[in-house]
Amino acid sequence: MKLRQALIAIPLAASIAWLPSPSPSADYAGTLDRWWGPGETRAWPQRLDYANSQGLVGVLRDGPVLETRGHAFFTSLGPNGRACVTCHQPADGMSLSAATARERWSVTGGRDPLFAAIDGSNCPNLPQEKESSHSLLLGRGLIRVSLPWPPRGEDGKPLDPEFTLEVVRDPTGCNTGAAHGLKSAQPSVSVYRRPRPVANTKYTTHQNFGVLPFIGKNGLPATRDPDNGKPSAMNLMADARAATLKLQAQDAATNHLQMPAALTPAQLGEIVAFEGSLYVAQAASHAAGSLEEAGGPSGLGPDAMRKGEAGVLGNNTTRWVVPMENKWKSLPRTGDVAADARAAARESIQRGHDVYMFRTFWIRDSMHLNSVGLGNPTKRTCATCHGMHMTGMDTANGWMDIGTTNLPWAKEEPLNPWNSSKPEMPLFKVTCKASVPPHPFLGRVIYTQDPGRALISGRCNDVGTIVMQQLRGLSARAPYFSNGSANTLREVVDFYDRRYAIGYSEQEKQDLVNFLGAL
Amino acid sequence: MKAGPLLLLFAATAQAAQPDPSLRNFVACPIVRDTASVPCWLAEYDGELYFLTLQTDVSAPVNPPWLGHRVLVEGRRSDKPRICGGTPLEPVRLSVIAEPDASCNQLLPAEDRYNLTFEPPRPPGPSAGRLAFNTLPMPTQPAAIKKEPQRYTLDYYFDGMVNFKTPFQLAPVLDMARAMPATRVEIVGYRSAALLSNGKVLQEQPDLARRRAEQVVELLKGAGLTAPQYQVRWVDASPVPNGTDDYRNRKVEITLQP
Repeated sequence: MKLRQALIAIPLAASIAWLPSPSPSADYAGTLDRWWGPGETRAWPQRLDYANSQGLVGVLRDGPVLETRGHAFFTSLGPNGRACVTCHQPADGMSLSAATARERWSVTGGRDPLFAAIDGSNCPNLPQEKESSHSLLLGRGLIRVSLPWPPRGEDGKPLDPEFTLEVVRDPTGCNTGAAHGLKSAQPSVSVYRRPRPVANTKYTTHQNFGVLPFIGKNGLPATRDPDNGKPSAMNLMADARAATLKLQAQDAATNHLQMPAALTPAQLGEIVAFEGSLYVAQAASHAAGSLEEAGGPSGLGPDAMRKGEAGVLGNNTTRWVVPMENKWKSLPRTGDVAADARAAARESIQRGHDVYMFRTFWIRDSMHLNSVGLGNPTKRTCATCHGMHMTGMDTANGWMDIGTTNLPWAKEEPLNPWNSSKPEMPLFKVTCKASVPPHPFLGRVIYTQDPGRALISGRCNDVGTIVMQQLRGLSARAPYFSNGSANTLREVVDFYDRRYAIGYSEQEKQDLVNFLGAL
Repeated sequence: MKAGPLLLLFAATAQAAQPDPSLRNFVACPIVRDTASVPCWLAEYDGELYFLTLQTDVSAPVNPPWLGHRVLVEGRRSDKPRICGGTPLEPVRLSVIAEPDASCNQLLPAEDRYNLTFEPPRPPGPSAGRLAFNTLPMPTQPAAIKKEPQRYTLDYYFDGMVNFKTPFQLAPVLDMARAMPATRVEIVGYRSAALLSNGKVLQEQPDLARRRAEQVVELLKGAGLTAPQYQVRWVDASPVPNGTDDYRNRKVEITLQP
């Protein structure tokens, strides 16, 4: 055990040293040591660094060394053997990568609690011993989220949704089955989403700029913190259904851990305090070396996340989303091959930052962006939407439809006689009722893999809207987008390039990928 | 099909006054013209191209319309120099027509002759650290707690319900109601008609006054203001439009009684 702790807690000094070129085997070397299982007796140090395909991710704890034994975040609280840590792993930037899920399947023969039938499989009534029954978790890192239909209001009473919902395609069987589907005894919708990182929470839960009693996107009441009545940022979950970390923890304990009782105040306190103490960011790059060395850009590395101001706009030239101070704009060459290569990699990260901040393109037909005063289309940049200082989230309530789940832009399997692969994701037909205005950009009939926020709000113009998430620690937690439809950061950039007809050059794409990978 | 619902609300008007000749009230497809800086928004009416507004940000007093939709333009022709090739309308109000219209899809490329001759309030990318206009103050606690009734007015776009601008109008109401504290909240909803320059009248949807008023009750209660008594009424008959300030009747009035 001591050896394992020593292997995991790589000292900070080691993390900023030159890193060898990655290889597939090196990325997941020491797999057992990367995994923090429920109920283990381990010490969580102030700093953890883990290798990933781009370098090292750093997890900084703003607090003393934590003994995990008996701590609510690390304790199996329900019958399925899971703990919070199961889906929020430090090596994965406090999220869960698909690669880690595959590794756990390989190591445990599919018996890890991660693969619990309730949501670690495509549907609970599938044969759980089969790998194919867990294909969405293994392939895309997706957890099943079951939501009541019709949606429930905060008082628990059914809402009258503005649209009807039909299942067009159900590859998992969970939306049409008698046990779990829309026509089951307790009608519900199964959607499949990536676990979000539980770190940098002072940003994801801020109550600063843009957080008002009424939602900045549509004027409706914001959810409120039941403890103090203050409006919440509604930026925690993909559909903004939980207003606070406490509510999210209870939601997860009930639905993912299958905990029969409510979390105690002491357990909630432990979980929320621990989550609030963690800061995650990429700490080093194979190509660019340390991302947090003295004299470098002030916005990189996990300690920058600890120091950063929460809930303020960074889409400006006075505060920036990720402050880099042009430190890597133009670096000298020494003739040393390795040093010059590192300088070139750092300049690429700086150029990617500049693309992010300054490269304009036409943003069009994106609900809750083009509809909130900017016009359709609007000629802006990545930082327009991804504008929160340090995280690149929305400072206001941040759900939008950029087409990751709504057709025609969502990733779909090409259907033709020569492709044997079948669609993996469900497909729903949403029809907005005649009594409400049509969706401004998609009309009255919308096809979607995940109705997103609309499954909570019941509103037609929320169909396919997903709360944007923080851009830190990305290299540790592929795949990307809420439905895991982009395997790599390059696929993320390519999606935007197609969606908005940006026309990025190859150089711009690579620089942007390098910048995102360094966050 | 697409134009149907809107056309049904048009009605020739015998009793409406003839519009002021400088007014330009019309429904048209918006046009985007790119520039070396921010894009301009234009619209054509009766053979003339009009400049509507520039792209700025959420704080703008006039926000750009949407391609994919027609827009109701309510403006006054100004004598100022053309901007982006269009005659400026000042003041101007723009309401996006809810029904999509795919024929509204004109995005013109930048041309040197249409470059802006002034610094736009906000660049197309990151700003210098502020919003373009100082029109969106963050709500704070009222400076002084009022002991007399307080009246507020919420503005609406044509045929619209609450929108992205509502939070900035409604948050001070909520603050004052809590600080006062209000024992009664009186809400009155209205709807309007718009007299167009061609003499036709565009009516807001029937029953909109009620829906606006009742939605404001839901919003205030949803934000936690459940203690006061609510008194809700609406005036569904829209006044005879004059083409000058028809927008003033697209509103909800809120009165807080201590």
